[in-house]
Amino acid sequence: MSEELNKAKEIVQSFLKSKKIVRMYPSNNPIYINTVEDDLKKFREFFYFRDELIFQIKQNEILYDSEAVYINLEKEDNLALFFFKDGLREINFKKGLTVVEIEDFLKIISLDFNRDALDDDVVTMFWERDFQNIHYVADDTILSDEDNYEETAVASVKEKEPQQDSLMKAYEDAFREEMVHDISIVPLSDKDLQLLMQEYERDAEDKTDKLLDILFEMIYLQQSKADLEDMGGFFVSAIEYSIGHGDIQLVTDVLSRFKKILDDRNEEDERKKLARKILSIAGDESIVGLLGEILDSGQEMEEKIFEDFVRFLDKNALVPFMKILGDLKSIQGRKIVIDALILLGTKDIATLSKGLTDSRWYVVRNIIYILRKIGDKRAVDYLLKTVRHGDIRVKKEVIRALGELGGAGVLQTLRDCLEDPEIQVRSAAVRALGSMISEAPKRIIINKIAEKNFREKSFEEKKEYFEALCHWKDEEVFTFVVGIIKKKTFFRRTKNDENRACAAYSLGLLGNKEGLAVLNKYRSEGNKLMQEFVFSAIKRLEHGQ
Amino acid sequence: MDNREDIERYKTGKDLVNQFSVVLRTAHIHDPDNIAVMSVIDKFVSIVNFFIAHERVISLELRGEYFYINDYRIRYSLEYLLNFDFLLREFKKRELGSLVFKDKITAEEVKVLVRALLLSSFAESSFDAIEEKMAHARNISVGRLQKVVEDSSLEPRKMVKKTYFNAVSYTKGVINRIKSGEKVNIKKAKRIIENMVDHILEEEQLLLGMTAIKDYDEYTYHHSVNVSIFSIALGQRVGLNRKTLTELGMVALFHDIGKMDIPNEILNKPSNFSDSEWDIIRRHPIWGVKTMLKLKKLDPLTIKSAIVSFEHHMNYDHSGYPRVRKDLKLDFYSKIVCLADQYDAMTSSRVYSRVPLAPDKALSIMMERSNTQLDPLLMKFFVNMVGVFPIGTLVMLSTKELGLVCESNHVFPTRPRVLIIIDEKGNKVKGHVVDLTEKNEQELYLRSILKTMDPNKYRINLAEYLL
Repeated sequence: MSEELNKAKEIVQSFLKSKKIVRMYPSNNPIYINTVEDDLKKFREFFYFRDELIFQIKQNEILYDSEAVYINLEKEDNLALFFFKDGLREINFKKGLTVVEIEDFLKIISLDFNRDALDDDVVTMFWERDFQNIHYVADDTILSDEDNYEETAVASVKEKEPQQDSLMKAYEDAFREEMVHDISIVPLSDKDLQLLMQEYERDAEDKTDKLLDILFEMIYLQQSKADLEDMGGFFVSAIEYSIGHGDIQLVTDVLSRFKKILDDRNEEDERKKLARKILSIAGDESIVGLLGEILDSGQEMEEKIFEDFVRFLDKNALVPFMKILGDLKSIQGRKIVIDALILLGTKDIATLSKGLTDSRWYVVRNIIYILRKIGDKRAVDYLLKTVRHGDIRVKKEVIRALGELGGAGVLQTLRDCLEDPEIQVRSAAVRALGSMISEAPKRIIINKIAEKNFREKSFEEKKEYFEALCHWKDEEVFTFVVGIIKKKTFFRRTKNDENRACAAYSLGLLGNKEGLAVLNKYRSEGNKLMQEFVFSAIKRLEHGQ
Repeated sequence: MDNREDIERYKTGKDLVNQFSVVLRTAHIHDPDNIAVMSVIDKFVSIVNFFIAHERVISLELRGEYFYINDYRIRYSLEYLLNFDFLLREFKKRELGSLVFKDKITAEEVKVLVRALLLSSFAESSFDAIEEKMAHARNISVGRLQKVVEDSSLEPRKMVKKTYFNAVSYTKGVINRIKSGEKVNIKKAKRIIENMVDHILEEEQLLLGMTAIKDYDEYTYHHSVNVSIFSIALGQRVGLNRKTLTELGMVALFHDIGKMDIPNEILNKPSNFSDSEWDIIRRHPIWGVKTMLKLKKLDPLTIKSAIVSFEHHMNYDHSGYPRVRKDLKLDFYSKIVCLADQYDAMTSSRVYSRVPLAPDKALSIMMERSNTQLDPLLMKFFVNMVGVFPIGTLVMLSTKELGLVCESNHVFPTRPRVLIIIDEKGNKVKGHVVDLTEKNEQELYLRSILKTMDPNKYRINLAEYLL
């Protein structure tokens, strides 16, 4: 007996350890697997003595054969209390217990029912799992809301005794009643079952869309203003629920229906008011926050569906979207949010530009990108302030944006950037100037190349200048570039040859066939770099490569 | 089910029962030597032998209304429902309780069994004839159907009563709590419904019997619980699994939650309602949705409860209320709850309708509404479930005894179990239950129902007999 008792004790002790491991490790982890198997081993050792192991559950004790195998007087982490509070009074493990059953049992007891806000208690979990080899006894007195309800109800209904006479009258009347006709129950056919099966399958689908249909019906069935106001909260719950389940399409459909209400001249003002409210709430922080969770969960999201949803949102959605932009960990998710902000940002550039002051460099860079994509010149004022940002990646992005947006003040800033100590900033500025396609930036680049100390720049930087210059495919640039190729010096010849090689490269880029005659003259140039660039420029002009 | 192997075993268990039914059905049409019978026998043999390879001995046993294979209860599934019912009848008709297969069986042995079963129809005692024919079979043996001992029902009856009243008490508590703005414990509701589902699966008739007593003071709460019971029972008939039955039971329990917003002076008005009062009553489905959605955070259960709350009076042909703009396809649960709701309401004494209809009368009215207000397909299942003579029907028997139907028989719907309240000499008696399937030595039924009467007309207190 003592050995049996010891085995029972070991099993309970093992539960305490195992439930922590099950909570902590994924099911494919060796520690997890070994724990479950060890527990099964312990059960097998017990079943050597008996075919079943019955634990009685008390508030602070677990008993085996009237002996306490677990005592805990604390409220926290008390296994006995964990079972007891939901009415479990006995747990019976049968000899056929399998490893899967033990694992599922451990999963249930490792749940934190208080923290996880579950709708089920431990008895319901056991019931739903329907173990073949783990049985339990639960005390259902906790389910009644009133003491002695059954006794009172039965007594009261039994009090209504029939009169003896009425019963005898029924008996007498019975002889005069009509005979029952031959009643037959319509038998169920295979077709009935098939039809029912189809109906049953349809019913298994998610019902949120049906609920929303009903809510839309209800807004036409409300009798007072207050009733209608009530409806807003229900729609918001349904929207949040749908987003939480990744059903953005359904939410878009809801917003589309509200938009129709809003645009319908014949609709009542109160319903329009509700529509306006929902369309505005759809962009609230709580809803957008939920979207963020979905985007970060790795769940697939069709960009088109997301875009359709965002189109219904108000400008108030900008700040929440900017917030999740910084919080998201998934690159794909950030990309989707950036696209959303490109759509939303057009509605309020000033608010979007506030993102330029974010402390996180990557958020600032994303906002600059968004402003560039929107292409609204009103953003330039905000962007100019960001040029002095401490992070070079931000600087590069803002210079690019300024170049694309153009406008007052941009040229001077870009010119200043050409003198920046960082080559990446200088190169970005050159590219930005190149993208501006107007006379002033062309002049800046030509003048810069023409400067005496230009040849001292690194080859890569020089190449950037010539590449930028090629955006202007005009006569002036052609002549200027040819002039550079022809230019010879006695001193610092290598540096000069770098300039000439870049010029040859740009002749290729300019695409002017007249350049071929010039280039062919330098085909057998002694400088290797020059020779290489001349050759590739000729190839490009001849074959368009 | 524990693992893949168990799932396989469970499925094969269903297959085994189904295939044996197919064998018997085919053998009713063709001679056992016919190729059609032989081919279904071969399939049956392969299923049995698959089992035997794992378990050595296979016992197919009928206990009450269910088949068990080696003590595992085989649950009804929709696809096999008709064959299960057929086999159930065949076993009962022949008083056959079990078939035990050991070692590897052969098609020849099964053929002997099939012949024994078919020929037993002509014998005085079907089971004795089968037993005699099978006496020499090496690997197949038969067992007699065990009659349910009357006393053993005492404990389940107590448990069923407890579950029923717990449910009513809980419903009352929930409504009071919602009214006073307190938090509602859904966990408790689930536990209660789970108990009801267990009772429906094990002692369906006992729990259905509880719904027949309609004289309680607190109609609303009892009605909610009764609708939940009828819905679960109907759901079980159509093959829903335990978890889905719990969900159905929950949504049914809350179907009338919107009624708590109807002013008491209307709800408890003893006379007929005015048009404006009806207008208010007809708003309870809308209020029900609102209450459900305020009750707890949105989840599948809340959503389904809200839908059923909204739709349970809309009717199959959309002739009911609320009237909607869009063509809403009624939810499967709504259609079930609608049937359960109508039946319980019609057979109950309500404040504004003191005299309830007799169960059989209510059923015949509902049958008239089939295909208009009620889904005809589900109605078929409902009638099959409650029987031709539902529990609580007052009946006059061929023996001149007067009784109350206390248990339906879904195999023989016209032959329920009846509680005799007046004996053949016209004396009032109490507690004697007779089974109308009982026969005498000449194989003639001992009793049959001759007439049905309205127990309400004579103020017969069902509680006195059924509780």
